[in-house]
Amino acid sequence: MAYAYLFKYIIIGDTGVGKSCLLLQFTDKRFQPVHDLTIGVEFGARMITIDGKQIKLQIWDTAGQESFRSITRSYYRGAAGALLVYDITRRDTFNHLTTWLEDARQHSNSNMVIMLIGNKSDLESRREVKKEEGEAFAREHGLIFMETSAKTASNVEEAFINTAKEIYEKIQEGVFDINNEANGIKIGPQHAATNATHAGSQGGQQAGGGCC
Amino acid sequence: MLSSVPQRKTWRKPKKTVKVTRSYPTVPSLNVWEEFRGLFPVDGEPDPGVGLGVEEGLLCQMVHSPEFNLFPESVVFESNFVQVKKGRNWIDIYKASKTMALGVTSSVPCLPLPNILLMASVKWQQGQTQTWNRPSTTPKIILKRILPLKFVELQVCDCLQRILRLRTVTEKIYYLRLHPDHPETVFCFWIRLVQILQQGLSITTKDPRILVTHCLVSKNGCNPSGDSKLVQKKLQASQPSESLTQLMANEESEALSRIFADLHQHNQFSSRSSKKTETKKDSSEKNSPSEDSIPCTLDLSWRNSFTCGEWERENPSGPQPLSLLSTLAASTGPQLAPLIGSFI
Repeated sequence: MAYAYLFKYIIIGDTGVGKSCLLLQFTDKRFQPVHDLTIGVEFGARMITIDGKQIKLQIWDTAGQESFRSITRSYYRGAAGALLVYDITRRDTFNHLTTWLEDARQHSNSNMVIMLIGNKSDLESRREVKKEEGEAFAREHGLIFMETSAKTASNVEEAFINTAKEIYEKIQEGVFDINNEANGIKIGPQHAATNATHAGSQGGQQAGGGCC
Repeated sequence: MLSSVPQRKTWRKPKKTVKVTRSYPTVPSLNVWEEFRGLFPVDGEPDPGVGLGVEEGLLCQMVHSPEFNLFPESVVFESNFVQVKKGRNWIDIYKASKTMALGVTSSVPCLPLPNILLMASVKWQQGQTQTWNRPSTTPKIILKRILPLKFVELQVCDCLQRILRLRTVTEKIYYLRLHPDHPETVFCFWIRLVQILQQGLSITTKDPRILVTHCLVSKNGCNPSGDSKLVQKKLQASQPSESLTQLMANEESEALSRIFADLHQHNQFSSRSSKKTETKKDSSEKNSPSEDSIPCTLDLSWRNSFTCGEWERENPSGPQPLSLLSTLAASTGPQLAPLIGSFI
């Protein structure tokens, strides 16, 4: 299907926080309680619409386990957005956020939009990390924040779409150079030709077609 | 050919036909060896790998497409498979219109061996001829996963049925039957790949593009922190570009020594293995040590029983198995010709 932009996302975070379940919920609208441990990368994709434009999200679901960590680092490159996930019922997954963030910042482009996600919000009775703590961490590190539940689908759509909106805004503001593939953004085939007319102008100019 | 077929890569493949006049006992199917003869393209002729659908196929086109742009300089060796499960007979899991494209490639083209496994689902339209790289209508192909080969164990499960067994380090097992439209030669390529992944290539450390001054596998206990680190540094020096491929290569070079140590341990597809043994092995695999061992374990006591693995030999004394698969061995450059000659 034709799209105006393609955004590459990466989902990172400790093992067992629900990264693959979030992806499955977003792409297939279903929840799978038992999921095989991810190794390498698993891919998902979905089209969304922002500002009347079709945007394809290409999502890279990575392995969270420590032993695969070094491999995971190699997938950050060229990501426009990252979902950094922790489990609200496991304090240790929250404590490890700093390490994940350092990794992400070190191996990705500086403009990458990072959405902090406190997953498993349906398990309120087992909560170990307060929502305020997540908010504070996000505020301190300049991240967007949401609590989600891959099981109930609560906020899952919003998490992916809000990240895309943030990326789209950055494109509009000229922060992202859409002609630089390292930014994790690709222009769709039908927009590429139009965009070529803007080549040489500010990279952040939106692709042609449509309003605004 | 699809319009989106990428430009032919300038990966140094042999361009001259290589005459193989001597066969090796380690090659699984000797008569097939003869079939490989002449597969290397002569200048101006189309690559037979493309004709067989194992090169520049749908999977390759997808990962090299602008959408993914992964490993753009590396050749992809690929085939289509049908996922099956064990019953009284092998049973197809999905409808005939759904196949799986399985491929191997290298994160960095000059790596001596493939280090990446690609898996994609392919959905063919009703009645569509499943010609691998020149379909009349492009089927729907979705890249599902990329796995570092070090986390994967590939075995020949059933030669007669042309079934591979793919096991991940997390014990996810796939049984994959080569699609019937592929000729027998293609399965022989896969057999060869399995063998190469288990045993390595004697020529791998002789590739001048790999600046290796030592064996990739440390002699003292297979400690990957030694020589492989050196390889990493030199790789970085020779290819300064920051990239996914580079990073992965760095990780992989360390991992390669491990996986080969472990694969030697399995040694299920040794030169002495017959096709019959392979088939039998699978049926009794529950009791075999390989079933119990996870590929990344590092029990190296078994190594004492080997004098030296093929992978470790810098100066092999006897005839060594060579890959005749231009698509599998990154070291099959023009400089390979003298090497081949010296072994034949």
